[in-house]
Amino acid sequence: MSSVRQRSSLAGAFALLALLLLLALLLASSLGATSTSWRAALAGDATARSILIGIRLPRALLAALVGATLAVAGVTFQTLLRNPLADPFILGVSGGAACGASIATAAGLARLPGVVPLIAFAGACGATGAVFLLARRREYTDPTRLLLSGLVLNAFFSAVILISFGVSRQSDLTAALRWMMGTLFGASWSDVALLAVLLVIAMITLAAIGNDLRMLAFGEDDAKSRGVEVERVKLIGFITASIVTGAAVSVSGIIGFVGLLVPHLIRMIWRRDFRFLLPLCALGGGILVVLADLLSRVVVTSAELPIGAFTAVLGVPFFLSLLRRNR
Amino acid sequence: MLALRNVSFSYAGAQAVDDVTASFEAKELVALTGPNGSGKSTLLKLLARIMLPHAGEIAFDGKRLRDWSARDYAKEVAYLPQDPDPVFSMRALDVVVSGRAPFLGRFAWEQDIDYEEAAHALDLCDASHLTDRYLDEMSGGERKRIFLARVLAGRPRLILLDEPLSALDVSHVQQFSALLRDIVARTGVTVIYATHDLNWAAAYSDRMLVMQRGALALDATPEVVMQPDAIRELFGFDADTVRTGGRAWLVPRVGS
Repeated sequence: MSSVRQRSSLAGAFALLALLLLLALLLASSLGATSTSWRAALAGDATARSILIGIRLPRALLAALVGATLAVAGVTFQTLLRNPLADPFILGVSGGAACGASIATAAGLARLPGVVPLIAFAGACGATGAVFLLARRREYTDPTRLLLSGLVLNAFFSAVILISFGVSRQSDLTAALRWMMGTLFGASWSDVALLAVLLVIAMITLAAIGNDLRMLAFGEDDAKSRGVEVERVKLIGFITASIVTGAAVSVSGIIGFVGLLVPHLIRMIWRRDFRFLLPLCALGGGILVVLADLLSRVVVTSAELPIGAFTAVLGVPFFLSLLRRNR
Repeated sequence: MLALRNVSFSYAGAQAVDDVTASFEAKELVALTGPNGSGKSTLLKLLARIMLPHAGEIAFDGKRLRDWSARDYAKEVAYLPQDPDPVFSMRALDVVVSGRAPFLGRFAWEQDIDYEEAAHALDLCDASHLTDRYLDEMSGGERKRIFLARVLAGRPRLILLDEPLSALDVSHVQQFSALLRDIVARTGVTVIYATHDLNWAAAYSDRMLVMQRGALALDATPEVVMQPDAIRELFGFDADTVRTGGRAWLVPRVGS
């Protein structure tokens, strides 16, 4: 195996998944409650344009970005913590976001546009900071303590969320619940732009420490002896993955499974190191959430079902079939 | 090449390495022995620059370890922890080529030269046939060879191995010991390896270091270490020395 073959196999996998993502985006923007077509929109039909370009396309793109973000955060946390069960939510990131959002709802702030996502993002960042400080001993961050702190804080956040719901007004609760179940309803081009910029910055940052991150797979002592500045790499990886998770959660609510499932799916097909998995996870996560979002809005036309349920419905059978084949 | 002067290290007050002074030259196979908890692993980590000593100095090529950059030092010195276990199974070639990491730039991927070095290292370890196999499909002995190849892939001048012979059966212990001997002879590298097996250490190494409660109790040729008096004093058990094939072998006394 030469370096050329190595790179061309990544390019092949990347091209395949990129094509699938493109098809998924096309499908998601073409299907919906109102029947319309890209042909009509391109011909200048104003209604078709406003539905496709104003509503469906940003929603599909946001789904792709949210999926990509969660999967990228997932593969980063799994590599960083050397734990196959780590995902973006286990460290309290989503709990913090949900906690912020539910307190905002209880305080009656849900009716002001843009406030809930902002407070959710602040909650995610706060939770991440808290978990990281709790896990830090002297100069060292213990991965097990990190997971444990996240788990315990998540329990605390659940309690706060229940209390907040108890004191919220009935009329505010529907929106809050929808957010908790994950929704891309009302996705805007500004959401797309914001998340796209953050994701690109995160991917570049993670690629820059990609060589070091993959060395962590062999353990921290081993990585140190190979010239990796372990604490610095852990800090950069942890903060980067947490910030993008917080941003994704603030625009989409909580969409489960993606961060856990996609890295494992990709790893089952291409058993390679972090640098290889990073771009493939981004595409795989995008595909999964675009399709899940499509299903969530077309399965029944009278209501929108939670996306998180469909990421599981789509991902779990695929995952199990790969698990059986790889035995 | 490598010199330690009055090196000490402690974990939260517990002295792990205590005032060790020693030096190592090129092309040596050195066995680091001593009872459990005598400070062998800690000493190897200090030599690998994973931790810096709390007192004393370690110098490589006359330059203090704290003055070496982590990457530059990793190009010269390679370390293999006791039980390296990537959480997700990897292909042997990917494991070995990752030994070239200190030579890679920030966004860089391995080049042809890195794969050539990896193939060469696999060949040195008699493991070329394992190139495309995955770690979870291998026996313990095969995995050890892959990880030794990984250490060799960077062509280091000093190799530090933490108990590379643990959990190997007798024939693999012999094969692996002979492999180390062979690699030292062929590449001129210096290997320092921690081990509990005195007989194999004495049979294959040039020199044995015996640690006791963090201190370096003895630094001598196998001939000197393998004496009943020395063994009783350093390891706390009674044994006879049997001489055969020009070498001394320890036979523990039963029921004494």
